[in-house]
Amino acid sequence: MNAFHAKYQTEIEQILAKYPPERKRSAVMPLLFLAQRDDNYISPNELADIAEILEMSVTDVASVVGFYTLFYDQHEGRYRIQVCTDLPCALRGAETFFEALCKELGVSSGGTTPDGLFTIEEVKCLAACHRAPVFQVQGDGEIAYYENQTAETALQVIAALREKAVQEARSREGAA
Amino acid sequence: MANQVTLTIDDLTVTVPEGTLVVDAARKAGIDIPVFCYHPKMEPVGMCRMCLVQVGRPMVDRATGQPVLDADGQPKIQFSPKLETSCTIPVSEGMVIRTNTPEVLRAHRDIIEFLLTSHPLDCPICDKGGECPLQDLTRAYGPGQSRFLLDDKMRLAKHVPLGELIYLDRERCILCARCIRFQDEIVDEPVLSFYHRGRSMQIVTYSDPPFDSYFSGNTTDICPVGALTTADFRFAARPWELKNNASICTQCPVGCNTTLNTRREVKSGGKWVVKRVMPRQNELVNEIWICDKGRFGYHYAESGERILSPHVRKEQGLVPVSWDEALDLVEQRLRQAGAGTVTLAGGRLANEDLFNLAQVTDHLGGRKLLHTQVGGGEYVQRYGLGKGSNLGELGKGDAILVIASDLQEEAPVWWLRVKRAADRGAALMVLNPRPTRLDPYARFIHHYRYGEELEALGRLAAGEGELAEAAEALRSAENLVIFYGSEGLGLAETTALAREAAGLLAGSGRAGKVNSGLIGVWQQNNTLGAYDMGFRPEADLAGALSGSGLAWIAAADPAGDHPALEAALKQAGFLVVQDLFMTRTAQMADVVLPAQAFTEREGTFTSGERRVQRFYPAVAAPPGPLADFSIAARVGLRVGIELEGASAATVMLRIAASVPAYAGLDYALISEVSEQWPIIGREDRYYGGTGYDNHQGLGVQLQPDAVTDPDGEVSIAMAAPAPLQVPEGAVYLAPVTRLYDQGLTLKPSMKIVGQRMARREVWLNPETAARLGFGAASLVTLEGEGWTASGVEIRVDEQLPPDVLLAPRSVGIPATGPEAVRLRPLVTEPEA
Amino acid sequence: MLVRGLLTTLKAFLTEKTVTVQYPEQKRMVRTRFRGRHVLRRYEDTGLERCIGCSLCEAACPADAIFVEASENSDEERYSPGERYASTYEINMLRCIFCGYCEDACPTEAIVLSDNYELSFHDRASAIYTKEMLLEPVPPGGKPTPQRTPPGVYTRAIPEMSDPTD
Repeated sequence: MNAFHAKYQTEIEQILAKYPPERKRSAVMPLLFLAQRDDNYISPNELADIAEILEMSVTDVASVVGFYTLFYDQHEGRYRIQVCTDLPCALRGAETFFEALCKELGVSSGGTTPDGLFTIEEVKCLAACHRAPVFQVQGDGEIAYYENQTAETALQVIAALREKAVQEARSREGAA
Repeated sequence: MANQVTLTIDDLTVTVPEGTLVVDAARKAGIDIPVFCYHPKMEPVGMCRMCLVQVGRPMVDRATGQPVLDADGQPKIQFSPKLETSCTIPVSEGMVIRTNTPEVLRAHRDIIEFLLTSHPLDCPICDKGGECPLQDLTRAYGPGQSRFLLDDKMRLAKHVPLGELIYLDRERCILCARCIRFQDEIVDEPVLSFYHRGRSMQIVTYSDPPFDSYFSGNTTDICPVGALTTADFRFAARPWELKNNASICTQCPVGCNTTLNTRREVKSGGKWVVKRVMPRQNELVNEIWICDKGRFGYHYAESGERILSPHVRKEQGLVPVSWDEALDLVEQRLRQAGAGTVTLAGGRLANEDLFNLAQVTDHLGGRKLLHTQVGGGEYVQRYGLGKGSNLGELGKGDAILVIASDLQEEAPVWWLRVKRAADRGAALMVLNPRPTRLDPYARFIHHYRYGEELEALGRLAAGEGELAEAAEALRSAENLVIFYGSEGLGLAETTALAREAAGLLAGSGRAGKVNSGLIGVWQQNNTLGAYDMGFRPEADLAGALSGSGLAWIAAADPAGDHPALEAALKQAGFLVVQDLFMTRTAQMADVVLPAQAFTEREGTFTSGERRVQRFYPAVAAPPGPLADFSIAARVGLRVGIELEGASAATVMLRIAASVPAYAGLDYALISEVSEQWPIIGREDRYYGGTGYDNHQGLGVQLQPDAVTDPDGEVSIAMAAPAPLQVPEGAVYLAPVTRLYDQGLTLKPSMKIVGQRMARREVWLNPETAARLGFGAASLVTLEGEGWTASGVEIRVDEQLPPDVLLAPRSVGIPATGPEAVRLRPLVTEPEA
Repeated sequence: MLVRGLLTTLKAFLTEKTVTVQYPEQKRMVRTRFRGRHVLRRYEDTGLERCIGCSLCEAACPADAIFVEASENSDEERYSPGERYASTYEINMLRCIFCGYCEDACPTEAIVLSDNYELSFHDRASAIYTKEMLLEPVPPGGKPTPQRTPPGVYTRAIPEMSDPTD
């Protein structure tokens, strides 16, 4: 049993149980999401471990990571804030919203805050043009959607996430 | 025979079997539809859109199901509103295909324009330039001008090593996926894949080592652009400067047909040198593939360490002398030794060499011995594949049994052919002591204990226990091919195994049948030819050599193989060695005769499937060395037997006259070719990559003795192997073969395949290693019978059976068969 | 008759300018499109060789006078921009017919036919011009090859064209 399998043993076994044993590779996407849960990226070791569990070649697993835009193999922020700046959103002020957000976080597009918590990036259509500005936050194994945003409301979301991280760190320290 | 379908392509009426793709049907009719992603050896994907054509089908009245007729009484043709990809459409009755309407030509032009939007057009420095499908099709179909902006071209990495053998140029790649599909569909080692999508899509490998496949070189052949190129041929020459010389690969008994591309080179003083090895199409042998060992392992022939003149031992050691002086001495000693002469030949020699050597030895009354660790050639002569066999035809209803062989390591192209046969539905049975890369395709796998191969075969024949189903499949199979190898076995064991396997074949009435037979996985390319020329392995080789009046060793290195043989050679009356290199045996010799490499001369090899194939000279031989048959003829002339020493073709005529199995053979017959399917390598090149057309011969398969002489029998004077007793504290050593061995034919190519070479290490199950008191990576000294090997690294592998130690051949561990060895920790000498 | 002929000669002798040139002291101007001995050019700013060893001149040569062998550049040892350079470049001047096809074929304008027509040899071997003989001197401001260059700068063998139709 490799490191990844040991780390999420019960989850992995639950996931694998959903698929017939000879079609193990069907579980590749759930496992990749699992690998992404803690630090929002898939490390080369996790890639190799998933390949081993599913009896696939590492290259095949990596190619799935490459194909889907919500899988990452680069270690960046714990939360990825993804703002749609396509035309309909831009018409509703998404660009200024994005710039304001960048300014507040002190990073440029695609950048990560120094505390390693947030990466902000522009993405293509999030399918909510009529409720723009809209952004999604990917992190902790979840994706949350925020519509009809202003810089202020977005910053509240960010502050809440930051507070959550601080609380977690504190409780970890307390446990230690 | 499948149903035939008649259709019209560009006003030409074509009749082809049902299921043929339109693009193939057109090709058969002589109409070339341009393609990039389609390859006749792989499933179509329709990705590149280059093969768009207009497709019309007869109109059918829905109410009656009858074809609608026009005013002339002809079926009315309805053309699709859009163009269709001809590589994904199977033919249908009455179909009308148009490949050259303005609409189609416009589509071709636009596709090329799209493909070139981000192509760097650096043809002048591209190794593919000159034999590049994209280049050729751009000239034939391209627009000449692009409407896209030059500044929008992608700028990507131009030199990405996918491992040390293959380089990727990301800019040139047109994302046809031929390489990915080759690795996935044909080899089933999916180590290449697409990453990202849309305009960011690129080829990646994540394997360790990168691009981990023995067939990686083939992807450079089928790449329709210069995206994949080999490290070996990097900037070595432009394709149009190269000469094509037909040859046969000498690395293993498959006998892949190859083309040696040669050019003059400044570094070599203006001499012609081999620049690269390419596969040559022979659908009966290697199709259009070769393994990387064959592709990159040719460098030994041009090594600077070759012996260039005859040597004779004098007081100061071996000194270079003239041919006359050396041959005078050989003559004198041969006359003295007479019937005490022992000729030991290796399986690297050509049939012509072996024939002449045999003739001289017979004339003197000496013994003809074959240096091999795999025996049983007599059984292959009798029960080998029937004439006209083709592993490529095996499929549903046929059975293939592979016993005691890690086929991918021992003979990669056979592995590929067997795997493909299993893909087509052949029942593959793998009997081996440990898991191998053939297991995933096997219908029946049986892992027996090392040393119990005969029992395993017996169990299969009897259909005992878990093998009952396999035995039934074997019995009911239309054809049966049995491969036997040397996994953990030596000469005596393989001989016994061959006998049992032959018995299984003969017992089921398949002796001599087409597409059935016994194949020995030899360690050298022409071991079977040596059997045919009368050489036989000797169980007590050391005894035979030490008792000889004169030992004549040709293309073999017994002293390098085992200390016992080295000791035996010291006792031989006189030692004559004929070889390319100063091997350990040559260093002991009294006379050394320099031989020519296979690139410098012509001759024939007999492959493991008993196909006699011809190789041609590609480069000039250096002054000094002679062809082995020529050396033997000169020696023969001196001791009183007239032999042909100038023309290999004439030697073949003599072989035909005196070796019954070769009766009627001559070079003209061996060089005959017939049209092969799929048609590749025509001038246009785009259809099958750069795999070359075969103009120089498909070879001739020999008829097994079971057909020509049904009442004959095989008698071998070799004692059955005694079961090995492993004493307390020792462990069972099983010699195994690694593809990239450190043998004579590969070592000089070290700089190319260096890091993939077999190392001086042995493999154990972790528990066995722990029991013996060693962990992974510890260095030990092995002590076998009459030998020790020190500085050997321990490696562990959980998949291995317990209580056995796997030792790769050729890395300086002189085990020639299974034996009990002791392990001692390596004691480093305290520094003085 | 004789006198008339002599008169013509005399008239020419006295009135017309002499056409003879005192070669080699005096040299005649060559025409702008004169095709003389080849020169392998360098880039004026860097001194890097233009030739990338593509062998297209060799392919175009109707007289089979050119022999090229290529090798790989590295940033430690760079001869030309891009990955490839000519490690051997030879022209056999006895074979050359000065047709200029090599110039036409060259994708980097590396080989040009110069004004030099002084090509005479005492033996056949000296008629083979090597790369050292053909390369033009390092331009002022450039460095001799091989050069040590910063990584990632000279990645393209073919120079960027400002106007591809040019």
